[in-house]
Amino acid sequence: MTATESSAVKATTGVPFTLNGQELHAEEGELLIEACDKNGVHIPRFCYHKRMESVGMCRMCIVEVDTGRGPALQPSCMLTVTPEMKVETESEATKDAQDGVLELLLANHPLDCPVCDKGGECPLQDNAFAYGPGESRFVEEKRHFEKPIPISDLVKLDRERCILCDRCTRFASDVAGDSLIHFIDRGSSTQVNTFPDHPFASYYSGNTVQICPVGALTAAPYRFKARPWDLTGSPSTATVDSSGSRVLVQSSQDKVVRIQGVDSDAVNWGWLSDKERFIYEANVSEDRILQPMRRAVDGSLEPMRWNDALKQTSEALGKKAAAIGGARLTLEAQHVWQKVLADEFSVVSYDASLGDDVSADVVDSLPKATYDWAFNAGSVVVVVGQDLKEILPSIYLRLRGVVKDGSVELVEFNYKSGSLAKLARKSVQSRPGELAKDVKQAFTATPGERSSDLNCLVDTDKPLTVIFSRPNVAESADYLTEALQVIQSVRPDAHFLPAFRRGNTVGAQLAGLTPGVREVATEDEIIVEQVAVVGRPTAEILQEAANGEVETLLLLGADPISDFPDKALAEAALDAVNTVIAVDCFENPSVASANVILPVAMYGEVNGHFVNSEGRLSPLGARVTAPGLVRSDLEIAASLAKTAPQSNSDAQSSLETSHMLGSEPIAWDLLELSSEGARIKTPTKPIQRVKADVPTVADGLRLVIGNKLWDQGTIVENSRTLAGLCETFKVRINPADADRFGLTAGAEIVVKNAKATASVPFITDSSVAEGVLWAPANVRGFDPRSFVTFSESVCYVEVSAGEQK
Amino acid sequence: MPTNNYLPHLDGYVDNEGPKIVTSRFNDPNNYKISNYKASGGYQALESALDISPDAVAAEIKDAILLGRGGAGFPAGLKWGFLPDVYPRYLVVNGDESEPGTYKDRLLMEHDPHQLIEGCLITCYALGIETCFLYVRGEMALAQERLAQALNDAYAQGYIGKNIYGTDVGIDIVLHWGAGAYIVGEETALIESLEGNRGMPRLKPPFFPAVKGVYMKPTIVNNVETLSNVPWIVTNGADKYKEFGSEASPGSRMLAISGHVNRPGVYEVEQGEVTFRELFYGDNYCQGIRNDGDVKMFIPGGGSAPWFFEEQLDLPLEAKAVGAAGSMLGSGAIVVMDQTTDAVKACLRVVRFFARESCGKCTPCREGTSWEEKILQRILDGAGRPEDLDLLLDVGSQISPGDYPKAAWEAEGLEAVPFPPKQTTICPLGPSSVAPITSALRRFRPEFEAKIAAGRTTVGASS
Amino acid sequence: MGYLAGFPITLKKWFEGVTTKNYRAGKGGKSDVKAPKPDRLHGRHVLNRYEDGLEKCIGCELCAGVCPAKCIYVRGADNNPTDPTSPGERFGFVYEINYLRCIHCDLCVEACPTEAITESKLFEFSFEDRKSAIYTKNELLVDEDGKPQQLPWEDWREGEDKATSGWMRATAPSGDSNYVGKVAWSGELGYGVRQPESVELTIKPKSGDSK
Repeated sequence: MTATESSAVKATTGVPFTLNGQELHAEEGELLIEACDKNGVHIPRFCYHKRMESVGMCRMCIVEVDTGRGPALQPSCMLTVTPEMKVETESEATKDAQDGVLELLLANHPLDCPVCDKGGECPLQDNAFAYGPGESRFVEEKRHFEKPIPISDLVKLDRERCILCDRCTRFASDVAGDSLIHFIDRGSSTQVNTFPDHPFASYYSGNTVQICPVGALTAAPYRFKARPWDLTGSPSTATVDSSGSRVLVQSSQDKVVRIQGVDSDAVNWGWLSDKERFIYEANVSEDRILQPMRRAVDGSLEPMRWNDALKQTSEALGKKAAAIGGARLTLEAQHVWQKVLADEFSVVSYDASLGDDVSADVVDSLPKATYDWAFNAGSVVVVVGQDLKEILPSIYLRLRGVVKDGSVELVEFNYKSGSLAKLARKSVQSRPGELAKDVKQAFTATPGERSSDLNCLVDTDKPLTVIFSRPNVAESADYLTEALQVIQSVRPDAHFLPAFRRGNTVGAQLAGLTPGVREVATEDEIIVEQVAVVGRPTAEILQEAANGEVETLLLLGADPISDFPDKALAEAALDAVNTVIAVDCFENPSVASANVILPVAMYGEVNGHFVNSEGRLSPLGARVTAPGLVRSDLEIAASLAKTAPQSNSDAQSSLETSHMLGSEPIAWDLLELSSEGARIKTPTKPIQRVKADVPTVADGLRLVIGNKLWDQGTIVENSRTLAGLCETFKVRINPADADRFGLTAGAEIVVKNAKATASVPFITDSSVAEGVLWAPANVRGFDPRSFVTFSESVCYVEVSAGEQK
Repeated sequence: MPTNNYLPHLDGYVDNEGPKIVTSRFNDPNNYKISNYKASGGYQALESALDISPDAVAAEIKDAILLGRGGAGFPAGLKWGFLPDVYPRYLVVNGDESEPGTYKDRLLMEHDPHQLIEGCLITCYALGIETCFLYVRGEMALAQERLAQALNDAYAQGYIGKNIYGTDVGIDIVLHWGAGAYIVGEETALIESLEGNRGMPRLKPPFFPAVKGVYMKPTIVNNVETLSNVPWIVTNGADKYKEFGSEASPGSRMLAISGHVNRPGVYEVEQGEVTFRELFYGDNYCQGIRNDGDVKMFIPGGGSAPWFFEEQLDLPLEAKAVGAAGSMLGSGAIVVMDQTTDAVKACLRVVRFFARESCGKCTPCREGTSWEEKILQRILDGAGRPEDLDLLLDVGSQISPGDYPKAAWEAEGLEAVPFPPKQTTICPLGPSSVAPITSALRRFRPEFEAKIAAGRTTVGASS
Repeated sequence: MGYLAGFPITLKKWFEGVTTKNYRAGKGGKSDVKAPKPDRLHGRHVLNRYEDGLEKCIGCELCAGVCPAKCIYVRGADNNPTDPTSPGERFGFVYEINYLRCIHCDLCVEACPTEAITESKLFEFSFEDRKSAIYTKNELLVDEDGKPQQLPWEDWREGEDKATSGWMRATAPSGDSNYVGKVAWSGELGYGVRQPESVELTIKPKSGDSK
């Protein structure tokens, strides 16, 4: 809050300049348009965007500037304030120029505002109204293009409306690094377009729609769904991954119709991945489960009453129960579920994550970095694990920005080079089982032995941040843990940033819904005292279930059959238990074996809080009413508490407390408040020593199962537009390996090991490490987990040429 | 029967009487070969330059007041002095000659590629540059061919590359072909194109090439003709150079004259010694207007220059005098139009060129030029309205607004033409399209009005 | 007997004439001649078509946005390019007016950029429940010939089916509410484009700035 206050106070030091006769001061190197904004003088603009480099294309922000050589018209977005500069934003010449630019912009702009998605919130409309000529003298026929043309599955382009401000193209090339749209042609037929046969297939295409100052780019999911004046919005946080991007959820007629990125300095700078932006489509999917269901004898689903469903659930939870999932719930719901399970039903086996992510107790103890800390100029970022673009796409943009402009040095350790490999100081390709070894090599080699590119890692006082994610679900997680531990021992000052795939994983840890040592704050000390070991890892839960030791399995929005590394074990577990209770919104492979389904509210339908991977607490806003008989997780958990056999306890009171406090189960002492919101402090202690297995060496390739942004996740599958973006299964092999095994491009190859044999399509990809077979997780066509044996730390497969097609 | 309709390659050089500086070797048809060039004293200027210090070479050029021949006429020596002490720095040769009416650089590259290369090498030596980019317009096939051959030969004989003449000076010259956009003749757009981007100008400030040029490094961009003068100056000295031409503009200029004259072509003319009248009517030059006609108007410096009329015929051919009269000598392309010329059509022809060649970056130029084109076309099609004329001027003023220095035109009793223009655009292309409109409309307004009136009676002003 | 004292007024009224008028009839209420409707009567809406049968409504929701009673609900959708419902990209997929709320102010007609919605001279509504008070495209849209649908309870009089597209501006084309001029009616219902307005572009001087 101090930040906003201080900006309201006019600076008294800095570069002196005159703005409309007023003596003011600007910061050194500040753009004129920003200096004017700060001093409350608005200059109209189209192409200027504060998160991108100025180009001065639209000429709308032209003002009369005198730098001592007489007044001249200069674009204020390109001009840095220089001492004694005299600026006139209200002069006749300025107004004439702005009026002229608007008349020219409108000359060829179609008058289809009534059908245009932007109509009503359009900068061109606003500026034309405020600064424009009012009437056009253009009597010629306007420029015509075919309209609209789809430039990707998500975005449609109307070139007639385009005013060529270069925002989308600049975003695509400079920010996202996907230069797939560009200007073509010259003069007044200049247009934005894609290259032939190359659609604008970017993870970030939705941002271009948001920053377009006219309605030239429209988003397929929002197109014609509403008009700006009937939208109402709630600030919220994206939950599809753990980046915690700030968003505005907008609804019309009680339906979520749009999500816009909010420019938050600390987190996402206004950018969103398409997954974060368009995920709301699933809310209105026809397949959504809208009332409690029970599995009939013939296997079909039949509706049931909530009372019966809760009663059945309560009874089932009373008998040797276990729970999986909950990493996507609100912090409040996680807290109450943990209370209800542990205290009311005495369930001891629960885990919010699914054994396919970084294990929670490792993360718990690490000194965490914030994004700002990690991306501060002059620091070093080490990415261990997967390509950040696939895991935390909106944070990837910030990393890309600082790596591209050279202010941050990047070193990668992975099995398949990330999207920033070319910009990175060094991209180290490792192999399953050898990650810790390679990291150790890089951090501990003598200066003579190691490549000079790695000098930024050790013997330097540059701050170091490690951004890590589970590199491979077909391999033991211990290798990653050991690698982190190596880094921590060499650089005790290093900070860590986990890149969780599931949104509120950190929240689940705080709420105690993940296995490990549960800690609470005491009055005099923030750091914490050990209370108890709670929970049990998903792998153990499933193993017990498969052994028949579990009677009831509660799935809190979890799909272990699709996500757990060992598919066979997950299937066996679900088969073996008596009762499966699914708290979910859609049928998915795991829910298909549920006996009772409790329909639950989705994103945009519940209030609460979210903790991102930095530990930053941000709100989740309920914008619409949950449809049908759907209830929120919090309500379901609370209702269960009432039906619990020994109901009286903490869960009730903690539920009531959390309602009273505006749902705030976190002790206030644990919060670090700043202008950007609250951040949860975490205790710091060294990682417990891990000794990962030395991998057995076998013939063949080591299997890596990596994640793609678009997969067959339940929510994505049920979003109309997004479902088609999931790729079909293809394995990737280094060209050297392809040569070694005599594999020819275009043919399928046979992949086999002791567990499975399959004929799959493949492509050669030099970004994949040698000796590695890289397969995407949970995409269409084939499930590579069928090769995985959970007990083996590294999974080997043999490949051979398949039949020629 | 010929199987194709290619036009024969026209040379266009006219060997008039008078001192020759850059065209001195043009009479040898094989001069583009390195053997012929060396036989006539080639690469000796480079050798003598290498004997003295780089600063001395730069000082010599500065002393010679070698004015830039690309259009702006800025002294090359002064420009070189703007380089900050940052390395690496680059020399870029602007061979993207595409101003309507200009074809002198093409001749220099076709007839005497080694002279240009030698000029580049001397300049690079003087400025401590190790890499020079030769940016040649995409359409100039023969020039590209001969330059490429010349570069190969010069590399082979050690004039380019490492340890030139046994010194530790190493210079590389990179030949780059443009893709045929007019705007790339603008130095910052040329740099963008050279970097592999779409050729669109950068805003100055902050992107002055001398400070932030190719790859954001200090860069000198010089015209082909400018650099072709360098070997001669180094060989003969600045004082000798200043013997030619006028005091403010020493040396000679290559002028490309086209249009309704009896002998169009490229002439090397001493600066300031000859008037337009002599140039058009003199026996040594163009030998009069076709059909013994009279000049109606002429463009003194390429398509973007405001037009001149018979009153200006006695102005000397010198940048300063022409500038003071409200136009520019620009790139030395003079287009002469006789009394049979339709002013409206001529105006449309020039405006259309700029409308088509606008790069699309700045709104006023992109939309304004094509709007002007449409209005002029409509007037010619007989659908003009009386208010269109003021509209034309007004659209023009949105591209180059404000009061203009009322130059010498006023002294001659004429209304001032907006030159040099203030502009709402990044580069001068937009204002260039305004120049012919203001010139033609102020001078020949009755012609425009007659077109409009005729159109309304013939087409029928029903609309 | 005291209670009879309560009845004198009742008894008196018993013998007076009927004062209830036939609301449709003329003065006195006894004539069979229906009272003429005022020229500028704002009645039930119609949704118009173009001559070729395409709907004029583009689903822009401007009518819904401007409606002071919030009685209009519109949703747009993409036209099928091979079989469009309206010209252009977008058409009115849902169009509903709740006549329990509508105050017949005609602002929707003013706001409509395509003259898709106009008002007829029909003022009779008959609802039994809320649902039937909400008219949808089924009721509002004109038929293939451009004639409005005549619902059974409605009082359609001669020639009114042609006058329903009667459309007038309350303001001058420039948006100045001081506009005085002839009221100009648009073209016939459903039959193409409105004729150019025959208006006198005189702007009434604003009060206070008379010379």
